[in-house]
Amino acid sequence: MQYPATKTLQFNTDAIRFLDGTEQRFRDNPSVLHRWTIQLALLDASELAAFDQFFESNQGRFGSFSFTDPWDGTVYQNCSLAADTFGFQLSGEMQGKTSLIVCENLT
Amino acid sequence: MLYFPQLSSGAAGQFPITRQRSARTVVNQSCQGYQVKLADPGAAITSWHLSFEEMDDGELAALEALFQAVAGRLTPFTFLDPADNLLAWSEQQTQPVWQADPLLTVTGNVADPTGGTAAYQVSNPTAATLTLQQLINAPASLDYCLSLYARSAQSTRVWLVRGTATEAQAISPQWTRLTSAGQLQDAADSISFGIGLDPGATLDVFGIQAEAQTAASMYKQTTAVGGVYPNARFRDDTLTFTTVGPSRHSCELDIVNVEYL
Repeated sequence: MQYPATKTLQFNTDAIRFLDGTEQRFRDNPSVLHRWTIQLALLDASELAAFDQFFESNQGRFGSFSFTDPWDGTVYQNCSLAADTFGFQLSGEMQGKTSLIVCENLT
Repeated sequence: MLYFPQLSSGAAGQFPITRQRSARTVVNQSCQGYQVKLADPGAAITSWHLSFEEMDDGELAALEALFQAVAGRLTPFTFLDPADNLLAWSEQQTQPVWQADPLLTVTGNVADPTGGTAAYQVSNPTAATLTLQQLINAPASLDYCLSLYARSAQSTRVWLVRGTATEAQAISPQWTRLTSAGQLQDAADSISFGIGLDPGATLDVFGIQAEAQTAASMYKQTTAVGGVYPNARFRDDTLTFTTVGPSRHSCELDIVNVEYL
């Protein structure tokens, strides 16, 4: 990963608000889910090709893989790419730029 | 064969080049957040945004001729990705896309120069020269560059096969990147790339790559998809170019490759 790196923690809470203003809340997901936004710049063509092959082998967001959280080293066994698209721009030699999002799946 | 033209320099494109791949995944999500996914590989789309500056009259004429021949976005043409390795399965020579002569042995999982084990050993136990090649469906008349890393403790040379041209290149026990580049006087609609081994030769090979340009760029690993797209189309029915002086043209265009069309 390169700076700036973004990590998101997500719960999924349903809230039912009653006529008297009180609320009842419950969670849909049994646990928090993690999501990492990876922005990469100054990549060479070989590095871009490796990401491209990774996207191809996963068939977009279909495949799953394990991902090591760069913040704390925790290995999340069931993760996927978040999108069905992957693109890059090559502005010159060693001037490749891309981004991708990895999200944790419910297991 | 209709194909996207090279620039007069032999280059396949100019910086910046943007490429995007799109897959299609059908997702059924339960209210608890669990997902059932189904891949739809047939719906994959690859697209490129290309920018050209300072094209001369000949380069523009070639581009315009292709645009007219394919009638805009109506019919397909062959596009050679300027940012990719044209050879598929660059690290798995046991795949059917590679044609090995009988009795040539190929063994994988050999230490490679990048610290991995993606190299492979090729041996020729016979008394004849044997080859390992891959045929791609692209015009043989373009500029191409074949490159690979090779080493051998016993053999002193390897043959680089680039269509009808074969060049002997010296090798040593150290990893060396070898290249064979140029343009052939050949009107065929396909061209083979690979290596040839002298009788009794054994060598390690890694990072075989073919590109539609005059020199080698960094090695790019490929799997099932190489950089040859025989079903590419212009994305738009318009081709706009700007002329800023005699034989000085620029344009931007988008190309898409959609397998299901």
